[in-house]
Amino acid sequence: MKKIRKALAFMTALCIVLSLAACGQPSSENSKAPDPTKGPDPTQQQSEAPSNTAAGEITLWTYPVGNWKDEATVKALTDAFTAETGIKVKVDYLDYTAGDDRVNTALTANNAPDLILEGPERLVANWGANGKMVDLKDMFDDTDMSEINAVNEGIMKACTAPDGAIYEYPLVMTAHCMAVNLNAFKDAGADQYLDLDTHTWTTDDFLLAVDALYKHYNSTVAAVFCLGQGGDQGTRALVNNMYGGTYTNAEHTKYTWNDENNIKALTQLKSMNGIAFDASLDGGKEIAAFYQGTLKMAFCWNIAQQLDPNSAKTGAEKTLSGDDIAFMSFPSQDGTAQLCGGIWGFGIFDNGDAARIEAAKQFIKFMCDSEHTADAVKAANYFAVRTTAEGADLSKIWADDAIMNEYTKLMPFLGDYYQVTTGWAANRTEWWNMLQEVGTGADITEVINAHCDAANAAAG
Amino acid sequence: MANSAKPMSRALQRREDVAGYLFMLPSLVFFVGFVIIPMFICILTSLTSSNMHDPGMFGSFVGLENFIKLWQDDVFKKGLLNTFIIVLVSVPTVCAFSLWVSSAIYKLHNVALSAFRCIFYLPVVTGSVAVTVVWRWMYDNYTGILNTALKSAGIIEQNINWLGSESTALACIIVILFTTSVGQPIVLYVSALGNVDQTLVEAAQVDGATDFQVFWKVKWPQMMPTTLYILVITTINSFQCFALIQLLTQGGPNHATDTVMYYIYYTAFKLTEQAGHFGYANAMGVMLAIFIGILSAIQFRLGREK
Repeated sequence: MKKIRKALAFMTALCIVLSLAACGQPSSENSKAPDPTKGPDPTQQQSEAPSNTAAGEITLWTYPVGNWKDEATVKALTDAFTAETGIKVKVDYLDYTAGDDRVNTALTANNAPDLILEGPERLVANWGANGKMVDLKDMFDDTDMSEINAVNEGIMKACTAPDGAIYEYPLVMTAHCMAVNLNAFKDAGADQYLDLDTHTWTTDDFLLAVDALYKHYNSTVAAVFCLGQGGDQGTRALVNNMYGGTYTNAEHTKYTWNDENNIKALTQLKSMNGIAFDASLDGGKEIAAFYQGTLKMAFCWNIAQQLDPNSAKTGAEKTLSGDDIAFMSFPSQDGTAQLCGGIWGFGIFDNGDAARIEAAKQFIKFMCDSEHTADAVKAANYFAVRTTAEGADLSKIWADDAIMNEYTKLMPFLGDYYQVTTGWAANRTEWWNMLQEVGTGADITEVINAHCDAANAAAG
Repeated sequence: MANSAKPMSRALQRREDVAGYLFMLPSLVFFVGFVIIPMFICILTSLTSSNMHDPGMFGSFVGLENFIKLWQDDVFKKGLLNTFIIVLVSVPTVCAFSLWVSSAIYKLHNVALSAFRCIFYLPVVTGSVAVTVVWRWMYDNYTGILNTALKSAGIIEQNINWLGSESTALACIIVILFTTSVGQPIVLYVSALGNVDQTLVEAAQVDGATDFQVFWKVKWPQMMPTTLYILVITTINSFQCFALIQLLTQGGPNHATDTVMYYIYYTAFKLTEQAGHFGYANAMGVMLAIFIGILSAIQFRLGREK
């Protein structure tokens, strides 16, 4: 019996040790773990001896950036890459609801993918700032910089950390806007307030349109959605543009969304019968309600939605019932809005394997700066961030697409890319919590000050 | 017969013990690996500033700082209050409703009984995501069947934002939790009522006991172990209510549906910029375990006394 007990004790101890070993980190990775207070040490990366065996397979996790969420589309691109380089690409598709959780969990478990497709608010301001990403500075020469800056000088600024490290190699961009149900506007006589040539309108026109629609339908016309952070670029742009409010300071060091103009905008929105502060909707659900014809405006919109509303594949620029959808800039006092931008590109997680990092860089070069870039851009349904890629002209890739061409009218309104401000993730939480409280009737000035202060405190 | 009464030989006893332990081993590995070790890691981490940015599993030792901070955190306190509201409303109603339904159906014909069992058990075996999607449609602010029905009946004039209003969101969550929780207790109570010793029931009836007295003095004591199990399981499930909140309200509006369980997830995986977010979330986990432990102990104690 004693022997059995001993054997059992041994096996239990073995289980515990094995489980602990599984929970722990490999010692080699421990030794390479970066100082969390700093970005990744470039000297450390350079001094790493390149692996003798080149990486035969790399992993890519992609957020739903246009059709980069579609397996068939992405497979065509990765197959082309594999055919040219011999490197296989294993792709995993993330969504915006649980994607961050998956990445954060993977980072915690030292199991992050080699590549990720997303925007600077995550790649630069979050994972880059926390030392998880590889600096891609060596991938840019003067030609690359000039090709990108020729489109918009803010692109590289957004992809670059304050210390000069570049954590995102940009691929595509767009301006986020709002949308209106044209048939509903016409029925309510509110189409007179829309300038469909320039796709702009003033705040006064917007207010009149909401009133006209509410009088006609006697129900909620549009929703300031605040279930969570999903699609919050829409509510931010709406509030900021109505009376010229700001979101951060120009240096991106402080959140300023408690300014008087934003308070004025929120007070105005809260007072309107046709506008609901709806804590049961986020951006995706708002789009669905707009697509179904329940809401007459959507504040969460961009070209991808215009081409395929609600991702339902029922026809471009149409609601479920066939009503026409017009994209619009956000209303501002003079009709000139500052639109929130989306800049999507690739980042490389620093997994400590030089061969894999090199293979990931090859992938980025293939997708973002080669004769294949046009395909990669078209897959996203957005606009190229550069004029040419290795001699291939990217400026006319949408020349045969009337909707894309029309949408370029909004691109000059692309505003400051403030999403790289420190503490961005915590700030987003404060924003939608603030909207929820405003929706419940709390004192707007008090609430906005409290949450903006909390966002700044979290940003340190 | 004489042989079977003989004590087992030492060798045979040892062989049976070994076989027993070997059968247990696979479960033991999983139990130790996925319950015991994570439990200890959780307790240890709750005393540290562990977060996803620092290398290694544990950050710096901070003692009881996380636990002190908890009681200064308004969101945690609100979450704790909501959790207790869910438990206090959900547990008695689930038990009472299950007992009532079981009493009504346990004597039915087998076919009818099986049909009722299936109906009440269906929400339990249906995936929580599917259940949530259906309820979301029903609660929808603009097109939900609930608003449509109430408006048609003239009970309300304006649509109610069931999940988007502070006054109704938590109640909506409790209603869904109720429908997904009653299935198992009903099946257990039906079984327990079927196992009540009929000779005792008949004896009581012969002695002139009323139906209520028969139930309270004869059946109820025999069902006590089942009741105790149901109470403990329902309490734990109510404390751990997470999926419904994550899928429907994300703790809102204005923290009206935040629970400790959801706030643990939120702190650990959403507030990743916050210093020591893993440690803080684990401290909440430890507190939740303590509360569940205390409540379960009270229930066991009361059950034993009864």
